[in-house]
Amino acid sequence: MSRASHSSNEPGAAASASDDAALVAAVLQRDRKATAEFLSLHADSIYSYVRSRLIPRADLVDDVFQEVFLAAWQGLAGFRGASSLRSWLLGIARHKVEDYYRLKLREALPIETEEGDPLPLILEPELDQAVDLWRLTQKVQQILGTLPEAYSLALLWRYWENCSAAEMAAKTGRSEKAVERMLARAREQFKSRWKGE
Amino acid sequence: MTDDSFFEELSSATEAELGKMARTPSRLKAKVFSALLAQQAESGPLLSVSGCEASGRPLCVFEKAVEILPVGERIKSLNFCRVCHARVAAEKMERAPIFWPHCPYSEFQNR
Repeated sequence: MSRASHSSNEPGAAASASDDAALVAAVLQRDRKATAEFLSLHADSIYSYVRSRLIPRADLVDDVFQEVFLAAWQGLAGFRGASSLRSWLLGIARHKVEDYYRLKLREALPIETEEGDPLPLILEPELDQAVDLWRLTQKVQQILGTLPEAYSLALLWRYWENCSAAEMAAKTGRSEKAVERMLARAREQFKSRWKGE
Repeated sequence: MTDDSFFEELSSATEAELGKMARTPSRLKAKVFSALLAQQAESGPLLSVSGCEASGRPLCVFEKAVEILPVGERIKSLNFCRVCHARVAAEKMERAPIFWPHCPYSEFQNR
């Protein structure tokens, strides 16, 4: 389960269900002003989420962001208000990001599982010594930005989106073993850069 | 610490900072708004400017001018933003010099 809640303190974060319903009804009437309000209210949370999940491909953030809102318009009639409009939009964003992960990992993962190439031994990066949260995050972003794209996406999918290797395998149509191997290589490269090797 | 627990701890520690609210570039909001209006207009007429005003959302000066014209609802439902210089400026510039009250493109500006 993803932890992409991304609650915010931007205007409209506390919009009630009735506000959401009224706004959705107005957008469905093709009210241009309501459409602008819909975009303004939710742009930042969707943008922040997409940006955080596509660290190695910052150039794709704009396209995915646009896809989220166009898909939202196409599916808006199906919005039932079971969750907030923001959560609903984040769900769409999550799917769009996952579509990209799936596509890239499917390309990068072998169809058949290779034998040999044992999983690397566990090392102990020194997370406890990380100075402060901001610098820690900068370091993570920097490393994810320089790893081969498939490795960064695999790590983001597995650990930041909390998707298990089995789920990743099912979604990419590859074996769990192949996913595990890729994750092991990704972790290995990440750790070696973490330690400044 | 296992590999998994290291990465789980790392993701948990950095999640808030990584997903910290970032401001969407004004240009991007402008482009997406234009794309949304284009899609809406493809599948049917937009709500007329009179209808928008009646719903309580104020019109920009150009929409107001259209609203008072003695023309039918069909004309008042056209996507006027498509031919407005504010759209062009907002899609091209991050800090577009547009200041019309109630113009969405002006309101998208991160000033």
